[in-house]
Amino acid sequence: MRPFNKYWAIFKIQLLNVMAYPSELLGRSFSIIIFMLVFASLWRTAYGIAGTDTLQGITLPGMLWYLMIAETIELSRPRVSTTISRQVKTGELAYVLNKPYNFLAYHFSTSFADSLFRMLTNALIGGIVVSLMFGSPPPAWGWPLAAIALIGAWALNFCMMALIGLAAFITEEISSFEWIFQKALFILGGMMIPLEFLPGWLRTVAERLPFAYAMYGPARLFIDPSLEGFYSLLAGQLVWLLVLGGALALAYNRGARYLAVNGG
Amino acid sequence: MLKRELTFLFALWRANLQGAMEFRVSFLLQIFGMVANNLLYFAFWPVFFSHFDDIHGWTLNDMLIVMAIVSFSWGIMTFLFGNFNFISEVIANGRLDYYLSLPRPVLTHLLASRSNVSGLGDIAFGVVAYLLSGQFQPEQILRLLFGVCISGTILLFFMTLVHSLTFWVGNATELGNLGVNALLTFSLYPITIFDNTARFFLIIFVPALLVGSVPAQFVKAFSWQGLVQLSLGALVLTALAITVFTRGLRRYESGSAIQVEV
Repeated sequence: MRPFNKYWAIFKIQLLNVMAYPSELLGRSFSIIIFMLVFASLWRTAYGIAGTDTLQGITLPGMLWYLMIAETIELSRPRVSTTISRQVKTGELAYVLNKPYNFLAYHFSTSFADSLFRMLTNALIGGIVVSLMFGSPPPAWGWPLAAIALIGAWALNFCMMALIGLAAFITEEISSFEWIFQKALFILGGMMIPLEFLPGWLRTVAERLPFAYAMYGPARLFIDPSLEGFYSLLAGQLVWLLVLGGALALAYNRGARYLAVNGG
Repeated sequence: MLKRELTFLFALWRANLQGAMEFRVSFLLQIFGMVANNLLYFAFWPVFFSHFDDIHGWTLNDMLIVMAIVSFSWGIMTFLFGNFNFISEVIANGRLDYYLSLPRPVLTHLLASRSNVSGLGDIAFGVVAYLLSGQFQPEQILRLLFGVCISGTILLFFMTLVHSLTFWVGNATELGNLGVNALLTFSLYPITIFDNTARFFLIIFVPALLVGSVPAQFVKAFSWQGLVQLSLGALVLTALAITVFTRGLRRYESGSAIQVEV
């Protein structure tokens, strides 16, 4: 229990740090308004041209609620890769390694605190914008299911971002990996367009990748909640968490050894 | 006078490029990474247009021209004047002292003293997107070059204007982020999805349509309206940004942070 208390304390301290500047945090969340306005204009036009209420089984309001959740996930993703790569590049890591905590667990706690408030404000502001334009959100009984799936999605994103950050052990410069990862989430994760719209073969591939569990799954569950869908999503998230978590632990151990060889 | 300033600018750009090329792997990773990034981002449009023939007259081909212009202009500006997105930070941290202490135009020196290598990747992608669009008539190429210049000028001076508000409101970094998000996001979508009120807003207040859609329409077909809109937009924004920055400079209080920049 003691290790958990330690990381719980780290989480709480970081949360207090984040909440010390609420106006700054709120200011950052205004970007979601811009994105929702663009999505609303595009899809309203698209549904108008198609002359139909549903496209690929999704209604226009459903599409906007889907995109709101996807955008919330994107804007609240942990930015841990930048932090880790900075620590590797500046040598700050050498000072962090001898602290009495696990490096990855420490980043997990601080990143979650960073993201939590951002996730809530983005969902709130995005939700208000979509409500004003397209009416009430999907049934409330599905919200807790989507919230749990959002936490799973966040953890998956954390693993992938931390892996990118650890690439700094080898390449030092990681921004190009961050850009490509983000755009993979946009298309293969279904952030810009639900996976139903992809060509058949690409959809089959995308549905099996972790990007879909980190973005499409929770957003789709929010607009179309079902217990069956929830369990299936959770199972997929757990499998990918095991795979990516294992890869992360391996990459960290090898990276830390590599750093020691070079003298830190 | 102008020759002296241009010589200085070229010297700055050369030094920036040499500095970036010092780290070859990082240099190449950033360029190719940005090309891959833009390619993946653009992948949305073929998927979208596989379900709709056009969006009120706009096709995939038009989106290629929009993407070419925005990538090209963004790439050139971030490579040559890469500090435009960090002006607030420089002002708020008192680092303008350095620029003020040297006998060179402050704004030009400030803007050109940072270079983002990834901009070269944007330029490369812009060329590829344009080649794929198939608009190769000589006058179209001339109009493309004009459109890129105008789009880049508007981008540069809109961001300069927003960041210059730091002189009055304190650190405007978040406002700058919001500004660049709005400008880029709205510029990468077809003009035909916006109603007249939105179009007015996106030309006058956040001139995103002058960065993407309007230059793209101008490349496809010449129109006096497009020429006037683009020229006037660039001129007004340039004058406004320079005036606001210069006025703001009078309010600047030294942070006693004169230091050697390396």
